[in-house]
Amino acid sequence: MRIKEWIFVLAIAGLGMMTANFIGFDVAFLDSLPGVLVLLGIALCAAGLSAVIPLKLPTVAYCSILGLLCACPISPISGFVIEAAGKINFTAPLTMVGAFAGMSISNQLKSFLKQGWKLILITILVMTGTFFGSLCIAQVVLQLTNTI
Amino acid sequence: MKKAGYAYPSLLARIGGEWKLYLLAFLFILIADSIGQIKIPVWKGTFIIFPIFYALFLGVLTGPNTLKLLDNQKVKAASGLVGVAILPFVAKLGINAGANLSVVISAGPALLLQEFGNLGTILLAMPVALLLGLKREAVGATHSINRETNLALMQDMFGADSPEAQGSLSVYIVGGMVGTIYFGFMASMAAATGVFHPYALGMASGVGAGILMSSAVAALSEVLPAYADEISALASASETISGIDGIYMAIFIGIPLCNWLYRKLEPTLGRITKAGRRDAKQAAHK
Repeated sequence: MRIKEWIFVLAIAGLGMMTANFIGFDVAFLDSLPGVLVLLGIALCAAGLSAVIPLKLPTVAYCSILGLLCACPISPISGFVIEAAGKINFTAPLTMVGAFAGMSISNQLKSFLKQGWKLILITILVMTGTFFGSLCIAQVVLQLTNTI
Repeated sequence: MKKAGYAYPSLLARIGGEWKLYLLAFLFILIADSIGQIKIPVWKGTFIIFPIFYALFLGVLTGPNTLKLLDNQKVKAASGLVGVAILPFVAKLGINAGANLSVVISAGPALLLQEFGNLGTILLAMPVALLLGLKREAVGATHSINRETNLALMQDMFGADSPEAQGSLSVYIVGGMVGTIYFGFMASMAAATGVFHPYALGMASGVGAGILMSSAVAALSEVLPAYADEISALASASETISGIDGIYMAIFIGIPLCNWLYRKLEPTLGRITKAGRRDAKQAAHK
């Protein structure tokens, strides 16, 4: 994607976020704006870094690390960043993600219905196994290291 | 993951190709966020339906199999848009992690080790898959949580037509359809048992699939509001680590373990049931 395209699509995502934040949580567009700009700015920088740095890391990894750096205690703008992002309700950015995700799998509906109960059961077990596998290890190690 | 060339010749061409997707997305936001959250108490936990689920459901209905508002080309474009639209959310999680940096650092050893939780997937799902009569498909289906990268990996290692890649694709498709709802529900049930610390629950949510993590974190924040910040901080850290090491976990641990388990278990577990014996004959004929 060109930079122009990134900016445009991110702006659409920003508008979607503000709309969801307004309809779902009664936060006015202007109150959401600083937070949206912070999040979009970080996302854009992440896209740029992922294009420039030759490591094969997913863009989301850059995005998450950038967000962490902006908000960590040594960042000079951490106060502003945390406050601005705090205005954006947690689930507000997600509705648009869900809409696109639904569209992106909509051509698989037929194959989904053809899968049958065996694969549905296996998928459920796969998800359960991953979640509880991580959960049990995390719980035990947190206890062993006296973190909790 | 650089692709050669651009998907569209210009920004205008992109808008021309995708305006319908944007419009539908805004329409779905209006509908989904107007309905808002619905909470249904189940046992000691809560089954929470978030606007993201309605939006996902409405999105699925637009496709070539149902309402036919979108053709296959637009469906493909939508999958690119998911990757962009999720970035602001990931940035927000990163900010939460930065704001709670001391929690993330104190949980460091647990964060790194819980990456091996993927092995739980294999140990739980592989035996059942064999009992149900799956053969080599089981390796693809159970080697990991089977999101985009894993699917690409299986197609790369075994070939797109291989049973391994087919198994992976099946779990990918079913996971896309039911995973978002199930993952959040499962997380809130795990919280309801009272056995697990909110930190551990947060870490377990980051499994290398953005939309699954968001569903789990949204549900957990709702049932454990006092820990909402720490949960999303740890989920974000865990998700970032999974995003980086997930593919190596699959190559060096997941797939070899699956192959080993398959060799050990298939001759016994895989022949107990009628379906298993029948499928073994078919597999031998191929």
